[in-house]
Amino acid sequence: MAQRPVSRRTFLAGAAAAATATAWPRPGAAQSKATITYWNGLTGADGKVMDELIERFTRETGIRVEQQRLPWADLYPKLQVSVPAGEGPDLALIHTVEVPHFANDGVLEAIDEATATGKGFRGDGYLPATWQGGTFQGKRYSLPLDVPQHLLYLNVKVMKEAGLVGADGKPKVPAGRDELVTMAKKIARGDTFGFAIGTSNPGRYTWGFHNLLWQNGANIYTPDLKRAGVSEPAALEVAEFWAGLGGPLGIAPPANANCRDAFIAGRLGMWIAGSWNFTGLREAKVDFAAAPVPRLFKQPVVWSMPHQYAFPKPKSADRNRREAAWTHVRWLTDHVAEWTLKAGQVSASRKAHGDPRVTGDPVLKTLLGQAPNWQVGQPTPKWVAAENLTRPVIESIYTGQKPAKAAMEDLARQINALPD
Amino acid sequence: MTRGRRRQTGTAYLFLAPGLLLFAAFRVYPLLEGLRLSFTNARLGRASYQFLGLANYTRLADDTRFHVSLWNTAFYTVASTLPILAVPLVLALALNRGALRTVLRGVFFFPFTLSVVTVGLAWLWLLDPVVGPFNYYLRALGVPARSWLADPATAMWAIIATTVWWVTGYYLVIYLAGLQDIPRELYEAAALDGAGGWRTFRSITLPLLRPVLLFVVVTHVIGSFQIFGQVFVLTSGGPGDATRTVVQHLYETAFQNFFQFGAASAMAWVLFAIIMVFSILQFRLLRGHTEY
Amino acid sequence: MRRPRVQALVLTLALSVLAIVWLLPIVWVFVTSLKLTADIVRLPPEWVPWPVTAEHYQEVLFSSSRTARIGRAFANSLVIALGTVAIVVVTSAMAAYPLARLRFPGRDVVFTLLVGSLMIPNAVVLVPQYVLVQRLGWLSTYQGLIVPEAAMTFAFGVFLLRQFFLTMPGELEDAALIDGASPWQTFTRIVLPLSQPVLAALAIFAFRSAWNDFLWPLIAVNRPEMFPLPVALALLRSAYSSESYGPIMAGAALSALPLLVVFIVANQRIVEGVRVSGLKG
Repeated sequence: MAQRPVSRRTFLAGAAAAATATAWPRPGAAQSKATITYWNGLTGADGKVMDELIERFTRETGIRVEQQRLPWADLYPKLQVSVPAGEGPDLALIHTVEVPHFANDGVLEAIDEATATGKGFRGDGYLPATWQGGTFQGKRYSLPLDVPQHLLYLNVKVMKEAGLVGADGKPKVPAGRDELVTMAKKIARGDTFGFAIGTSNPGRYTWGFHNLLWQNGANIYTPDLKRAGVSEPAALEVAEFWAGLGGPLGIAPPANANCRDAFIAGRLGMWIAGSWNFTGLREAKVDFAAAPVPRLFKQPVVWSMPHQYAFPKPKSADRNRREAAWTHVRWLTDHVAEWTLKAGQVSASRKAHGDPRVTGDPVLKTLLGQAPNWQVGQPTPKWVAAENLTRPVIESIYTGQKPAKAAMEDLARQINALPD
Repeated sequence: MTRGRRRQTGTAYLFLAPGLLLFAAFRVYPLLEGLRLSFTNARLGRASYQFLGLANYTRLADDTRFHVSLWNTAFYTVASTLPILAVPLVLALALNRGALRTVLRGVFFFPFTLSVVTVGLAWLWLLDPVVGPFNYYLRALGVPARSWLADPATAMWAIIATTVWWVTGYYLVIYLAGLQDIPRELYEAAALDGAGGWRTFRSITLPLLRPVLLFVVVTHVIGSFQIFGQVFVLTSGGPGDATRTVVQHLYETAFQNFFQFGAASAMAWVLFAIIMVFSILQFRLLRGHTEY
Repeated sequence: MRRPRVQALVLTLALSVLAIVWLLPIVWVFVTSLKLTADIVRLPPEWVPWPVTAEHYQEVLFSSSRTARIGRAFANSLVIALGTVAIVVVTSAMAAYPLARLRFPGRDVVFTLLVGSLMIPNAVVLVPQYVLVQRLGWLSTYQGLIVPEAAMTFAFGVFLLRQFFLTMPGELEDAALIDGASPWQTFTRIVLPLSQPVLAALAIFAFRSAWNDFLWPLIAVNRPEMFPLPVALALLRSAYSSESYGPIMAGAALSALPLLVVFIVANQRIVEGVRVSGLKG
């Protein structure tokens, strides 16, 4: 609420003038090189990789980067309120689905194509879906960095115990939903689970639910983005399967279990989860194999969520800092192969895809192989709000609190009631 | 008015000025501003907004999640009141004259010095469905393990248990003070009359403790209407919406989803109205039965 | 008289056992925070952290790559709580004095207004207070946390102190006034020194409510280095929840430790303060 046209309480004006907000530490005039502020949600192991790359960047360019790091779910509301208050950063890393609403709310600065081209960012250098994700209503607001996506992890030890490993020592990969359920039932016993989708709190894992929706040709909104599509038959079929996972099928862990712990501890056989988990699994020395996300419904769609670099609107334009932010984006895009190798995220730009270190890694190769099947959230400013509404609803389905159909119809009503 | 009186009035308001300024700017003004916002479609970051009349309020009448959160808040308030009254009272009676009184009182009081987030994190870990010690010992005792916080039947009770653990020490101290104020002679007289422990409790302790009990109920109930921290840390309102409370719903409406300041303000005023009605009832009760 | 003594002994014993059980959640936090990551999830639960490690403390205190630092958050909480105490004690005492000791028009109206405001739930002013603080440019600042916190406790402070001032004998004041002391001198030299216990009680009350407030700083602070402890802890949890309880418990333990020390040293005083402020409130 930076501008409040309806009325102003003048008795506060004096206080406002006297108040001195402590601002970001600005570089002094004597400092020749800029310092930029950079917000991101890389609170996991990938954060340490980013720190190392940024240290190198500062050594090479002299530009200091002050990172503000918060879990994504907390970062976005903070970004939304900080920018109008003039407290926003020079650069932010955001997920693709955040672009439409931030753009719509005037939080992000539009990037004109000429500027982007001038800095060497061109559409033909990127995978089309990721490049397209940086735009909203025909204008560009962000530049893609990498493509977090889903992957099927197979725990070799658990699968072996269930007799699901072939003669070549490779675990069997399920070809469809029925086979997945049959295999998972073979694995599940006691506190060992056959299949899970999601990391912590699988019952609330909207990204997994979206993946299944998309596989069945359904989505949160109808294609014209005008009303909710979650109560259509294809979506209901997915919701029924979700309910089965939580209860009747008897293959998946309870709603607030930690699937990652379970997988590492050898209590989970097949696990659809984010690509960001695999470097950690390697460090934990888990014997696992990775396969493309299996086709559980009509299409083999793979959920993906490219990270995008965006420039929040500053209170007052500072050319120096903006240029420094551009330099940083350029530098990291040029060094994205390092990011891919250490953080486990394949890049959005094509250049690194031919790097022999990338193509030589079986997991990274699997991830790149999924590219034709990648799908992202719908480009509507309401997407994130709808996702927040979806979380408790799918949890109530997973825990058997509500029947799938009634819950999804209720969700559709809630989504349709979202304000414009 | 004499000059002296006028001078005294001036002095009085000079003394009051700093506090009243603070009070006006950060209590009265926000309260009224909130009422005004509740009739608008104000949103954070939007340059302008319109007056909608009662639209936010009528929308609340159809907002099933708001109804659920009201119900949950009411359930929490009612269900937690008895343990909050009883547990510290039993402890206070037991501690009242025993040895080690100061030390034990300190032990029970200690959790109250912790922040709600610290308390929530500790219990989150104790109640972990797979590797938490609580379930482990239950299993060892032959009781089946459960996901206490992910089970709609138990999640709210887990939050209540956590809260009881957290605040018992506070009410314990208050009860102990109340017990100390009861004249010893009354108990001595009762003992001479041959009254047993239960009869003494019913006919002396309980009636004389009545103001304290009422204080505890009022304090607890007003606080309960605003429960947020425990839920935020332990369940985020889940599973589903089983533990979603009004303040959490308000917080999410205003600061997570679309920053709907107008709609959230309407919720705030509905909550305020409920608390007002309740407080007035309480004050009636208080005035009716005690000489406060 | 044998039986009652045995009874008392049994009672004390039972209470002691209960007290130990009562502390187990806290003990478990400390135990977990000192364990190696691999040992944390081991069943049956091990109550002795061996081998012991400080790696989780190292992580939350000094690791630069994750959310807020607990050490800084602790300092922030201290500044906020002490700042709130200062403002609350000064403004409440100044306001309570004329309300208790002077006669002037509007006195009852002001007092009724203040007491009535005790019913205003903090959640009700959340949104407009946010708008106000943002317009003042106070988001993510100490004043943006301290001033609203103080305003929240002010009315209660007035109520508590007025009750106390009313019970004070008036002779000393009268004597001072006859000697030509101004009301301000009377207030600072006579009334305040006599009110130390109740001022301490108010200070403890204000400290605790500012120290523990969670919702307001959650929304009013946008920069990790300004987070107070409860918010920093909650974010610590989001950042580590899918990996290990170790750092989360180290953070929780760090938040409890200083209070534990203060509490052991000043148990009697704190409990007394709570009793005074509780019963009168």
